[in-house]
Amino acid sequence: MTRSAEGSTEVAAGPPRRRRVTSQRRREQIAGALFVLPDLLGLLVFAGLPMMLAVVLGFFAVDGFGGYRFVGLANYRRMLHDALFLQSLRVTLLYVVLLVPSLYLSGFALALLVQRRSVLSGLLRTLFFLPQMISLVVVAIIWQVLLVDKIGLVSRLSALLGVHNLSWLGDPRLALYAVVFISVWFLMGFYMLIFLGGLQDIPREYYDAARMDGASAWASLRYITLPLLKPTSFFVLLVSTVAAVAGGQAFDLIYVMTKGGPANATALAIYYIYQQAFQYNEFGYGCAMATVLVVILMALTLLLFAFTRGGRFEQG
Amino acid sequence: MVQDSFAAGRRGTALPTRRQILTSAGLGTLALATPALATPALARADRPTLSFWQFYAPGGPVAAQAQWFEDVVAKWNASNDVKVTLEYVPNDQYMNGSKLQTAFASGSGPDLFLISPGDFLRYGNARMLLDLTPYIDAAAQRDFPEQVMATRKIAGRIYGIPMEVEPMAMYYSLAAFEKAGLGEADIPKDWDALLALGKKLTTHNRFGLLFETTPGYYQNFTWYPFLWQGGGGIQKDGKSSFNGAAAVQALQLWQESVASGAAPRKLLGGGAWDIVPNLASGYCAMQNCGIWGISALRSNAPSFRYGVFPLPVPKGGRPVTVGGGWAFVANARGRDPETAGRFCAWALASTKPDSVQRVADWCTRAKSDMPPRTSVFAAASAAYGSGLLKLFKDEIYPTVRGEPRVPPQVYKIISDAIQECQLGGRSPEQQAASASQQIDDYLATYSGAPII
Repeated sequence: MTRSAEGSTEVAAGPPRRRRVTSQRRREQIAGALFVLPDLLGLLVFAGLPMMLAVVLGFFAVDGFGGYRFVGLANYRRMLHDALFLQSLRVTLLYVVLLVPSLYLSGFALALLVQRRSVLSGLLRTLFFLPQMISLVVVAIIWQVLLVDKIGLVSRLSALLGVHNLSWLGDPRLALYAVVFISVWFLMGFYMLIFLGGLQDIPREYYDAARMDGASAWASLRYITLPLLKPTSFFVLLVSTVAAVAGGQAFDLIYVMTKGGPANATALAIYYIYQQAFQYNEFGYGCAMATVLVVILMALTLLLFAFTRGGRFEQG
Repeated sequence: MVQDSFAAGRRGTALPTRRQILTSAGLGTLALATPALATPALARADRPTLSFWQFYAPGGPVAAQAQWFEDVVAKWNASNDVKVTLEYVPNDQYMNGSKLQTAFASGSGPDLFLISPGDFLRYGNARMLLDLTPYIDAAAQRDFPEQVMATRKIAGRIYGIPMEVEPMAMYYSLAAFEKAGLGEADIPKDWDALLALGKKLTTHNRFGLLFETTPGYYQNFTWYPFLWQGGGGIQKDGKSSFNGAAAVQALQLWQESVASGAAPRKLLGGGAWDIVPNLASGYCAMQNCGIWGISALRSNAPSFRYGVFPLPVPKGGRPVTVGGGWAFVANARGRDPETAGRFCAWALASTKPDSVQRVADWCTRAKSDMPPRTSVFAAASAAYGSGLLKLFKDEIYPTVRGEPRVPPQVYKIISDAIQECQLGGRSPEQQAASASQQIDDYLATYSGAPII
């Protein structure tokens, strides 16, 4: 350090300056760590620790009243022969296969529909997003009334079209499709917003240039929009897949509307795990199944990362 | 100049630093939280208040029922140091949800709660229920018929005091009957007639017949009479007795009711126990419901005209219905089990006239039930001497068999069989055989209280 003629302190080049930079970096690191700490602690306490405990409990028979008995891999062996658990995995797979593409397409289509700034598109954006503002329990109750046999609005409309006596929530062949439909109706506004953000990040100049080159709307969509939306698409696919496997929204809908029925047709894995743990007091077995579900979820996520290369842009 | 003033101001007024603000905020939060955290603990240590979980909401569908609970608790609290507070749990959560189980799993179960035979073994086998025998004197114990108490006992000891007996029957809309040109002579006596009538009463916007369709132990409860009418059962001497003609025909009956279009797959309101949204609204013409339907209709659809008839029987079968009902139980690991036990006995099982009258009030004024105590028939002879309660007393109650108590794992097996046949259209023979095998597998390792 040197002192100037006015007596002020100046920072001089050389070792002291490096010391100051190192110290600043450390302070920033500490500050950064402190900012992250509450989240990290929250994650550890409310997610990490329960997950670890769940893995451990999977090796015990737990009756829910304080009784624990080590059973080794018995819960995992039981899973292999549990027809209802295997059925719940099949139901979950079908739910994922139906829901994820539906959400992707509906969210993307809605975003394209409302991306232009106008009063009408503003109104439409609000309307499409509106279901998100309602509690899922309320959504389930409303749809239950709409879909009830014979006298529900949907049943009456389908009767007008010549389709009689359909039970959307009471027929095992239809119930899961009804749940998927309601899930899409509820979630598509959220994914529309995500796609809208992605679309608005694409510079207008690309489209202007393409138009000047005589590109059609389809060509613009195919060669500009879709490639540049890869990160957004990746995010949407990842989040909707995780939500579908983990049964985030579906659990509430199923709990209120079908209780896993009819005939276990809507018993997603997450719902079956809940039933085993909390209704039949098979907490150890429930934890073992939850562990398997998390492993499946992680494998799916890794696959998705591998297939999409993390949604990165292709260079060159 | 501005900067100088600002700097001077900061120094002059000595504004608190960020660290001081954060420290103050932290200490403030701690100070505010301390009494909130400490008070319940102190209160518990000093003089506990017993929590009583039940599902009769203040301002709920039948006001008199919530009022009865409030009156009971108020009377107890007026003359006892250890108070009881009512905590309301929505019915759906109580019967098909997980609130009670979760509370016990986390060590915070209520001190007092209601339990039905269908869920008795969950808590009984876990030794969570207080033995209430010492609190009930011998004369009062004799006042409870054995068939009412059997499912509340383990090894001869009483673990639950029933507040009611709730037989199942069929309710029908008089308007629907009249419109179809039917009268009392057309009331079905057997299953074939029931199905035929159900189809006849079915229209484009109404079902003729209604059974429970939501999976759970309530659905099992409503299906058991049809199993028993043909001589079937769940288990006998530790072996499954489910795989028989009786189970098959009972599964077939419910399957045909749906397959023929006479019965719905989805119900309104809370389900088949909820009579106003289904029968009174015109959603169905006949409904399988318990005796409580009388008080529900009296309170919420007083102008609705209806009748009741005993459950029809299969050809060659015998008349039998199921008698459910809730019981007061005390948490053996609660805050003050001794007082909780005294409360249960005082409320429902004392020989004093006010205890008998309390049960009579519940069964005839607040609700519409058969009493679990013989003496109540005399105390409320007027109520049971006329109208539909008389019909229940004279014709249906004598055919009552207590609701079975089975572990949750067994009722899940039976529930799956019912669901697969009723709504899934699967073969009743195969489902009965499969369920029977699963019950046997379970019973092979079962070591709890007897399944009745």
